Amino acid sequence: MDYLSSMYIDNELNLGEKVQFIEKIRSEEEFFQETVGLLKQEKVLRTQPERLKLLIPAESRIRPSLKRWIGNLFRPMIYVGSGFALAALFLFNLTPELTDATDQLTTAGRFVIFEPAVSRVELTGTFNGWQRMEMKQIGTTGYWELNLRLPAGEHRFAYILDGSRRMADPTHPAREKDDFGGENSVVTIPLST
Amino acid sequence: MEKYDVFYKSSKDGLFAYLLRMTGDYHLACDLVQESFARYLHRYSNIGQASRSLLYTIARNAAMDAFRKPKTEYFEPEDHADQKNNPEQTVEDRQTYERVLAAIQQMGIFDRELLALLSGADLSYTEIGGIMNISEANVKVKVHRARIRLKEILSDGGK
Repeated sequence: MDYLSSMYIDNELNLGEKVQFIEKIRSEEEFFQETVGLLKQEKVLRTQPERLKLLIPAESRIRPSLKRWIGNLFRPMIYVGSGFALAALFLFNLTPELTDATDQLTTAGRFVIFEPAVSRVELTGTFNGWQRMEMKQIGTTGYWELNLRLPAGEHRFAYILDGSRRMADPTHPAREKDDFGGENSVVTIPLST
Repeated sequence: MEKYDVFYKSSKDGLFAYLLRMTGDYHLACDLVQESFARYLHRYSNIGQASRSLLYTIARNAAMDAFRKPKTEYFEPEDHADQKNNPEQTVEDRQTYERVLAAIQQMGIFDRELLALLSGADLSYTEIGGIMNISEANVKVKVHRARIRLKEILSDGGK
């Protein structure tokens, strides 16, 4: 019955076993020492240094820094967060970068979505003939991003999670039902001047 | 979805503790937590009652899959959170913790998994038996043996 000390550590003792445990602790020095040793070992095993805490940011933690970061880079037209882990973020930069002739017809767009609990996110839309484009994970923050140049006009798009789950941007209000029972987000890019 | 949110919040840390000790790899463990919840949500979102055992079983399979793949190299996490605390204490904690983590990695997969499952401190012997497909009586004995084994490894200076 040496394993009584492990059952004690794991809160698995019933009343009868508690009696046994207490009596054993009192009468056997060796058992007492072993139990104390295992308890201390377990304490170390279960303590996790702060820097090794799970890095999936809570919304409240990520938002201020993300906002700042976005503020430096873009002028967001739409920025709405939803209240849950599946919160997604969609934003668009409407400042065209006029570098060459092609660029005058397109606008730099940035797709960002917060999806910590999936292993793959793809973007699909009218701008790429509904082909799937892999989104890149931003470190281990749970955010995924993709930068694209989009021509002016109306575009429909959706995200695909884990290769099969299709989802319109949950934070972008403009949506439209497709012919297959799903939904797409709709975004309009104005002509750049 | 409300239910899943609660389940996610209450289970993620325990699951992470398990995966970190199973793999000994911080980044891999983070990835596997996400992967496990994604698989769970994707395949089993209709089962009604949230099942922790099922989540751990999925995580276990995801970890086994990861072991078969070639290892991805990651950068070590930065110590930003440590700077707020007492630096000496932190270094000591960190060394102790790394020693224990390294010691667990020297154990057989079975023992390692038992201790890993317990380290989240939210699973009963019955649940662990269910996840590992062994009897509860067996869990009692094996957990204790694994702890004694870990103690031996640690007292040998990690060798």
